[in-house]
Amino acid sequence: MGSLSFSRAVQAVLLAVALLLPLAAGPYWIHVGAIAWYYAMLAASWALLAGFAGQFSFAHVAFAALGGYASALGVGLLGLPVGVSMLLAIVLAIVTGALIGALVLRLSGPYLALFTLAISEIFRLILVAEEDLTRGMLGLPVPGLFSGQSDVPYYYLGLGLVVMAMLAMNWLLSTRVGLFLRAIREDEGAARASGIDTTRYKILVFVVTAVIAAIAGIYYGHFIGILTPNIAILPEMGLVIAMAVIGGIESLPGAVIGAVVVFLLSESLRAYGEWRFVLMGLALILVQRFAQNGLYPMIEQWSRARAKPRAAATVEDRHAG
Amino acid sequence: MSYFLLLAVNGLVVGLIYALVASGLTLVFSVLKVVNFGHGSLYMLGGYASYYLISGLGLPPLLGVVGAMVTLFVFGVVFERLVIAPMYTDKVERKDEYAIIVTFGLTILITNLALVVFGPFAKSPPSFMTGALIAGPLILPYDRLIAAVAAVVLLVGLSLFLKRTALGQALDAVSQSRESAAVIGIDPKRMYTVAFGLGSALAGGAGALIAPVFALSPSMGDLPAVQAFIIIVLGGMGSVGGSVAGGVLLGLVQALGVGYLPDPNRALAYTQAFGALLLVITLLVRPTGLFGRPHLRLE
Amino acid sequence: MPADPFFAVAGLAKHFGGIHAVEDLSFTLARGEILGLIGPNGSGKTTTINIVTGALKPDAGSISVEGSDMAGQAAHLFARRGVARTFQVPRLFRRMTVMENLIVPALSDASERRPSAEERARGVLAFLKLEHLADDYARALSGGQQKLLELGRALMLKPSLLLLDEPFAGVHPKLLEQIIEHIRTLNRDGHTIVLVDHNLDAVQSIVSRVLVMARGRKIADGAVAEVLQNPEVVRAYTGSRAGAQ
Repeated sequence: MGSLSFSRAVQAVLLAVALLLPLAAGPYWIHVGAIAWYYAMLAASWALLAGFAGQFSFAHVAFAALGGYASALGVGLLGLPVGVSMLLAIVLAIVTGALIGALVLRLSGPYLALFTLAISEIFRLILVAEEDLTRGMLGLPVPGLFSGQSDVPYYYLGLGLVVMAMLAMNWLLSTRVGLFLRAIREDEGAARASGIDTTRYKILVFVVTAVIAAIAGIYYGHFIGILTPNIAILPEMGLVIAMAVIGGIESLPGAVIGAVVVFLLSESLRAYGEWRFVLMGLALILVQRFAQNGLYPMIEQWSRARAKPRAAATVEDRHAG
Repeated sequence: MSYFLLLAVNGLVVGLIYALVASGLTLVFSVLKVVNFGHGSLYMLGGYASYYLISGLGLPPLLGVVGAMVTLFVFGVVFERLVIAPMYTDKVERKDEYAIIVTFGLTILITNLALVVFGPFAKSPPSFMTGALIAGPLILPYDRLIAAVAAVVLLVGLSLFLKRTALGQALDAVSQSRESAAVIGIDPKRMYTVAFGLGSALAGGAGALIAPVFALSPSMGDLPAVQAFIIIVLGGMGSVGGSVAGGVLLGLVQALGVGYLPDPNRALAYTQAFGALLLVITLLVRPTGLFGRPHLRLE
Repeated sequence: MPADPFFAVAGLAKHFGGIHAVEDLSFTLARGEILGLIGPNGSGKTTTINIVTGALKPDAGSISVEGSDMAGQAAHLFARRGVARTFQVPRLFRRMTVMENLIVPALSDASERRPSAEERARGVLAFLKLEHLADDYARALSGGQQKLLELGRALMLKPSLLLLDEPFAGVHPKLLEQIIEHIRTLNRDGHTIVLVDHNLDAVQSIVSRVLVMARGRKIADGAVAEVLQNPEVVRAYTGSRAGAQ
C-alpha cells in the first residue's frame, strides 16, 4: 500500500513537472523532451513485453520503424490524408505484431532474442536496400503535423501519447490478463496446466506492444520530419533496453522514468561524447548485477521501508522463518 | 573465372574467420547455456589488443595474435567471475534474460570505450607478411592466406583439445549434463569460467587475425557477431564442425553476392539479410540446427 | 466397472525418436476412484501424465473425458475440463504471491470474478493450512509448502480428475502425513485421483487399485494385494527398486 501511494505521488509530481516544463524551458530542451517521449513509449511497452510477459524481443525498434515508415509512405506514396495513413500504419503493426507473436510461440530465452534480432535486421536491411521506396540512408522526408516552427505542440502530443499508453497498459495489467502474462513469464507449461490459453495471450502482448511501438514511431517520424533506417539499428534497441532495465523492467513507471532520465542525461552530457554510452553500458551491467529489478522499484521499496519500518520488519521475519 | 576464384577464395577466408568467431560463441553456449551477445566486441578487442602489443611492445605480428588471445582469455575469465557467475546462484531469477542483458551491456560498454580510447578512425596493424601468393589466375595476399591457415589451425586445435585432453573432455561433459559432470567430480563452475575465457580468446584471435586484412574500427565486431549468431543457429549450437560449415557458407554467399549482384547497395544489404533469413527459417523449421547435436529444450 | 467410464484411455502411444516412452496403454477410471500409477524410474509414468493432461500430444490412442475424446487437444483445454495436475518438481509462478498462484487457474474461467476467486483461494489455503502465507512470494516457500501450494493450485480448477506426480518426493516426514491426509480427504469428497510414484509402499496405504508400468507398457492393473503377487511386477521391481531407494 505504501509503495502504491508513493508511486502515485511520484507519478503525479512528474506529470505536473512535465506539463509545466515548456513554460520554463527553452526550445532546445522542449525538443529534447519531445524526443524523450518517443523513448518513454518504447521503453514502457518493451518492459510490458519483456519484463511482465517474459518475451525478450530485439524487434521492438523495428516496430517503431514500421509505424514511422508506413505512415510516411502512406502520405508520400499513396497520397493518403495523414490521419488515414497513421491508422493504416497502426493496422499494419497489429497484423505484423500478431504474425511475429504467432511465429515465436515455441521460442523462448536466447532463441527468441536471436529470432527477433534477425527479423529486426532483415527489416532494417530492406529499408536500406529499397532506396526507390525508402530513399535508403538518404532519409525519407515525413510531413509535419502542426504548422509553425515550435516544438511545443509535439511536446504535448508526445506527453499525451505517453499518458494514454501508460493508462492503457496499466489497465491491461490490472485485469486478469496481467496476471496471466506474469504466469506465462514464470512458467509457461504450468500456466497452460492452470487453464490459460498461452498462445492467445502471447500473441495479444506482441500486438499490444507492437501497436504502442508503432505509435511511438509514427509520432517520431512526423515530429522529426525525416526517417532513416538507423531508427532500427541494434544500438537503438540497446538504448531502449538500457532505459527499461535501469529504470525497472517490471515497472511501467520505472521504465518511463528510466527512459527520460537516461535520455536527458545523455543530452546534457553531450560534451563528454561517447563516455556517456560507456557509462550507460556500465550502468546497465551494474543494475542488472546488483538490482535486477531496476532502480525505481528499489526507491519504491526504500520509501516503503521508511514509511512502515515495523510492517516491513515482520515481512522480513516471515521470509527468514 | 578468375574473378569468381578471387571472390570465392576471399569468401572462404572471411568464412573461416566467421567460423572461428562462431566456435568461441558455440563453446560458451554449449557449456554455460548462455548466448554471449557481447561476442563481437571481444573480437574487436582482440584486434586492438594485437595492434597495441605489436606497436607498443614491438612483438612480431603473429605473436601479437597469441598475445591478444591471452589478453582476451584473461578478460573473459574476469568478466565471467564478476558478472556471469552470480547467475548460477538463487539470487538471479530470469537467468536467460540476465545473461542477455549483461552480455549485451558489455557490447555497449566496450564498443563505446573503444571509440573513446582507440578513436573512431580506422587503424591498420602491420602485415604478417607482405606480398601475395600468385598461382595462375589466383592472387591471394599472404595476410589473407595466413589468417585462413591460422584459423584452420585454431579450429583443428580446438577440436583436438575438446576430444583429446582431460580439460576438453571435462568441458564436453559439463556441456552434456551439469549434474552428471558434477557427480564424476568435475566442478561445473570452473568449467564455465574456462569456457568463457576460451570463447573470448577465440573471438579475440579471430579479430587479431583479420586485423591486417581489414582495418580496425570500434564497430568491426558488429557484422561478425551477427554472422556468428546465424552460424551457431545454423550449425546447431554446440558444434565446432557446424561452425565451420556455417561460416564458410556465409562467407561465400557474402563474397559472391556482393561480387555478382548488379546493384551494390542492394547486394550488400541482401547478402546480410540472407544470413538473417537463414537464422529465422532454421529456428522455425528445425530448432536443433542443420548439423549440430540437438539443443531444443523440452518444457 | 461402469459401462460408461468417467475417464478412459485406449491404445495410447508416444515415441521420442526411437524410444517408446509409452506403448499401447489403456485404462479406465470410475468417478471417485483413486488409482496408484507406479513403475520404476523411466517406465513412462510422467510421460503418461503429460499426455493425458495435453502437455504432450500422443502419437496414437484416445483420451476420453466424460465421453468426449480429447486426444491431441491443448493442455489448457484439459485443465478447463477439470483435468488438473501437479509436477514432480513443483512448478509454481515463483515471483507471484501465494494468493496470485491460486487465483490464476480460477480466473482462467472467464465467468469467474476476482473476489469470488480470492474467497475460494482462502478456503483452499485454510484446507492446506497455509493461510498465513497468502501474501508471500511462492519462491520464499519451503519445498514441502511448495508441494502443498501446487496441490492447492490444481484444486482451484475445481478438478474432476486430479493427477499428482510424485507428491511425496522430497517432502519432510512431518509434512508427509499431512499430504497423505489431504489426499484421503479429497478422495472422500469425491475427487477422482491418480497418484504417481515409483514407490509402491508410499501409495498402498491410500489406494486400493494400482496400475504398474515398465518400459512404457502396462504390466499389471488391479487390487494392491493381487498386483504384488504378479511375477512380472516382482521382476520389474526387484531389479530397479534398490536403485530407486
